[in-house]
Amino acid sequence: MLDYLSFSVKNLSHHKVRSFLTLLGVIIGIMAVVSMISIGSGMKASLKEQLEQLGSDKIFIIPRLAYGTAATTLTDEDADAIERVAGVAFVSPLYSVAGDVGFRNERKIVKIYGIDPEKAEATFGGGASGYRLLKGRWLQRGDRYKVVIGYGVASDVFSRDVNVGNTLKIHGVNFDVVGVFKKTGDREKDYTIYTNLDTIREIFGAGDKVTMIIARIDKGADIDQVRLRVERRLEKRKGSKENFFVMTQKEIIERVGEAYRVVQVVFGGLAAVSLIVGAIGIANTMIMNVTERTREIGILKATGASNAQVMKIFLTDAAILGLVGGGIGVALGYLISLAINTAAARYLGEGVLTTSVSFELVLFALTFSLVIGVAAGLYPAYRALRLNPVEALRA
Amino acid sequence: MVIKLENVVKIYRLGKVEVPALRGINLEIPRGEYASLMGPSGSGKSTLMNLIGALDRPTSGKVYIDGTDIARLNDDQLALLRRKKIGFVFQQFNLINKLTALENVALPMWFSGISRSRRMRRAKELLELVGLGGRLHHKPSELSGGERQRVAIARALANDPEIILADEPTGNLDTVSGLAVIELLEELNKLGKTLVVVTHDVEFGKRARMRVKLRDGMIQDIEGINHA
Repeated sequence: MLDYLSFSVKNLSHHKVRSFLTLLGVIIGIMAVVSMISIGSGMKASLKEQLEQLGSDKIFIIPRLAYGTAATTLTDEDADAIERVAGVAFVSPLYSVAGDVGFRNERKIVKIYGIDPEKAEATFGGGASGYRLLKGRWLQRGDRYKVVIGYGVASDVFSRDVNVGNTLKIHGVNFDVVGVFKKTGDREKDYTIYTNLDTIREIFGAGDKVTMIIARIDKGADIDQVRLRVERRLEKRKGSKENFFVMTQKEIIERVGEAYRVVQVVFGGLAAVSLIVGAIGIANTMIMNVTERTREIGILKATGASNAQVMKIFLTDAAILGLVGGGIGVALGYLISLAINTAAARYLGEGVLTTSVSFELVLFALTFSLVIGVAAGLYPAYRALRLNPVEALRA
Repeated sequence: MVIKLENVVKIYRLGKVEVPALRGINLEIPRGEYASLMGPSGSGKSTLMNLIGALDRPTSGKVYIDGTDIARLNDDQLALLRRKKIGFVFQQFNLINKLTALENVALPMWFSGISRSRRMRRAKELLELVGLGGRLHHKPSELSGGERQRVAIARALANDPEIILADEPTGNLDTVSGLAVIELLEELNKLGKTLVVVTHDVEFGKRARMRVKLRDGMIQDIEGINHA
């Protein structure tokens, strides 16, 4: 086997440019596969993690139209009605808006959540949702014009850090910062300002509208049944189910999973195309290889090489191209996946997308490239051994 | 007889046209003989050479190499026969350009499954035998024509075959190196190898003890001590 390897290495290095171009085809194919699958599985993992943070004992009621403020048809009264549904422990209404926020002489657009402080704490209590105070205190019921800010708002949004005791100007109104959350790793949470629901609705003229209602169910209650009851109650109030969603964490994960499968198919398709290109590249090189080496095949046969030995020589060439290309492709794919991680952490926020290259993926990619190499080399190798030595020598 | 041909016919098919290259050859070459095959181009001498070298099978008739009828062998058995019994020397040298002289000579021993260290040792000895002890690691492109043909001769000897077949071995060489190559081959014949040389060079052809003249795919004449 070692002899075949060294013979192939001599042959491939004798045709450096051609071997390199073939390798490039495989490298690009495998690199694309590894980086795309790593993005795909990273997206799945981080989405799943984020969704799990929502908690399995909560029901989410959101307007069906846009996520924005104008479209919502949900109100405080809906929230109260939901709270009276059997099996619901309490609800936490939420009003979210992207508003302009000033700090010193800077102005930025930041997401603001208006919440009911007590209910929110009860809803997200127990730390399941990842909120922990770093400094200061949580909002209280009577607090007006007070905010607690996410870690990202405190440290990243403005050129200077925002601290407890500072003042933020939201939509032209001054708010005191009373608390800063620890980093949650969830961009949505870290880059949000939290304040009192009524205060923010007053400033933005939103009346009694809410953009999301989170209902926490009683301990031991059947979440699917409660969800159904909540949906029926709202349907009665609104006249139809058209304008809202009622979802459990499980359903959200399922929906996201469906969307993820589409992403996976798209990424997988792109990767497959690159792989096919790589395989055609190897086949092409191998066919050229055989054509160009016709005379050499004649020499090998005249000096006593059996068909199996000639076949092995050509398949070794192809296998080396596949495996070396695959190895480099895996390494580059891994580097790309690391680069995507760094870029994602920087531009999308920590924990939004963490790509991962699993051992199985590496193994799969290497096996696949080897198989592609050998498969692409099979036909040319077969042609090589069918050559009559006399004709081959005449070439 | 190390080589024996009985009523050998070889017909090439070019599309629908049949071209008879050999038309009934009967020939016996004893072990240790020095034979030359001569004739104008198209006389069938290369075809005959390919049959004796077990590179091809006859259309009809029998070709015995050391007692084995090659028409009955499959491709791998033919390869085995070539490996064991026959060493080729070609007009075009037919060395593998990416391998060094040493590696070229060792090649047939690789196919015989001889260990790397043993075949490198023997290849070195053979190259020293043909006077190229100082050129072991040169590639064919770095050698002169005469030197390349010596490498080819060393390679032909690698598996210690019965028969050395040389097809126009001096065809691409100048007179001086051509003569040197012929003399080297004759040395091998003196050491006991059966030597068959295909040539159209009358001077070289005459040096053989047994001289076979071909014309139009048939033997026109055989001269020499064994066929008196």
